[in-house]
Amino acid sequence: MASKPLSQEFTKGLWGENPIFRQLLGMCPTLAVTNAVINGIAMSLATSFVLIFSSLVVASIKKLIPSQVRIASYIVVIASFVTMADRFLAAFFPPISKNLGPYIPLIVVNCIILGRQEAFSSKNSVGRSLIDAFGMSLGFTLALLVLSSIREILGTGTWLGHQVLGSWFEPWIIMILPPGAFLTLGILLGIIILIDQKLQRSK
Amino acid sequence: MELLAIFISAILINNFVLHYFLGICPFLGVSKKIDSAVSMGLAVTFVMTITAIVSWIINHWILLPFNLEYLQIVSFILIIASLVQLVEMFIRKSSPPLYQALGIYLPLITTNCAIMGLALLAALKNYNFVETVIFGVGSGVGFTLAIVLMAGIREQLDLADVPEPLKGAGIALIVAGIMALGFFGFSGMIK
Amino acid sequence: MSLSSRMVIVLTAVGIISGGLLSTVGILTRARIEANRLREIEEAIITVVPGAKTNTKIYEEKDFTVYTTRNDQGQIQGFAIYTAGTGFQDKIVLMFGTDAEINKIFRLTILDQKETPGLGAKITDKEAFLKYWENKDCSHPLMLKKPPVAQEELGASEVNAITGATISSEAVLATVNASLAKLRSLIQAGTIQIEENNGQ
Repeated sequence: MASKPLSQEFTKGLWGENPIFRQLLGMCPTLAVTNAVINGIAMSLATSFVLIFSSLVVASIKKLIPSQVRIASYIVVIASFVTMADRFLAAFFPPISKNLGPYIPLIVVNCIILGRQEAFSSKNSVGRSLIDAFGMSLGFTLALLVLSSIREILGTGTWLGHQVLGSWFEPWIIMILPPGAFLTLGILLGIIILIDQKLQRSK
Repeated sequence: MELLAIFISAILINNFVLHYFLGICPFLGVSKKIDSAVSMGLAVTFVMTITAIVSWIINHWILLPFNLEYLQIVSFILIIASLVQLVEMFIRKSSPPLYQALGIYLPLITTNCAIMGLALLAALKNYNFVETVIFGVGSGVGFTLAIVLMAGIREQLDLADVPEPLKGAGIALIVAGIMALGFFGFSGMIK
Repeated sequence: MSLSSRMVIVLTAVGIISGGLLSTVGILTRARIEANRLREIEEAIITVVPGAKTNTKIYEEKDFTVYTTRNDQGQIQGFAIYTAGTGFQDKIVLMFGTDAEINKIFRLTILDQKETPGLGAKITDKEAFLKYWENKDCSHPLMLKKPPVAQEELGASEVNAITGATISSEAVLATVNASLAKLRSLIQAGTIQIEENNGQ
């Protein structure tokens, strides 16, 4: 596995091992904050920050940590970066921090982050871990962007606050409510499997 | 009255799974059989209640008096992780039948965002001690209700003809969406 | 070195480093976060009591804070009341301003709500809801007009409900009425005292 070319280490996070669409990890923030594109972007940035820096630190100190206390150490590392992200948003972007509420602190229990440390950064070099973290972050961002775009456009007729659908469009309010999150992601998962099957058949 | 409102609201209106999207992983992962869903629900309710108590004490007796609110995330996650370990050891020693029923679910709970979410939301909503405990129990009951209902539907779903690409997580999410829609009808029942 | 001592050393080191880093971040951001919070309250007070120059917090309990405001001549204008009530989904946090005799509501503003977007969330909308609350007579409890009528046809103590969001509208109304009653009884009991215009 370690002999994979670096480019594949990066792209696997986008499609083949996309954390949300494939591994079904980190569902809570995915569903909760995608009612508007701006929230999705803020969440992606915060999660990427935590994932990339945690991977960097964990990959650098992995040899020093006895395996019995590795999970505890990883959790402290992750929680520290989450706190930084949380305080930064609260200090400089109070409206976003208010919108996302408890979901920024909840990045600490986002399974993607601990999962990547345990499955990848603790076994690979710093460079490789960083590339993996960037790929996974981008995959996560992509998923959140798709989901929040669908929900915001159908739910309010806007994208990132700009009107994109005409006044003829009666917003489907359900899309920005909790049920819309479940329905959109469920149908999206089905579509992705369908595309994948088509791709494999044509090979 | 206030307490009853918090309790009912945590179960039906602001249900942890269907409104806050907390605890989705076990909700999708452990909802294939009603039996295991009930056990998971009980384990979560149990840990939630204890977490509510301990996190309130830590928050109000240590973090807030010493202006250490920036250590909230680190301390909550460490408390939860060690709490789950302790509960597991305690149950294994004191009640083997209970351990048989809940044992394998307890380790899974550590990374369950519902528990962390509970500690954070209780702090955010500024509940007093009794309110926090009621909120913890109510949230656990709400989680149990959602996961047991889900398991009931999924047991039937096994017999249904689901389109191939939607099998598994896809259809489970769509069912959850319809359930959330149903639960939306409870909004506004508390004034 | 034995394994257990290595474990202890590593965990302690991780704890100390992260603790040190976090307290730095915590202290660096604290002032700003606190300032953001204060500014939000400050802006809300200016919204609900037009022309308010300074304000003083005179009473505080859970979900109920009273401020007195003074204009630029230092005269007391009235009260700004920060309060919260249960809405359709969750708490609605709001602030409203009254004159010193508590006979008139100047304005109302919603600070936080999680009502249904497009329906109950219209309580934050000026045209749909908030404008009906401007300069209302509150010597008697306010009442909700349902279905809504034109602004001129509303009585002195009547406000329009939002069509399709009666529960959210009622929640705001009940919260305001309850806060007014509470404020009056606190003044009557002498818990809240207004020092007459001794500002300057």
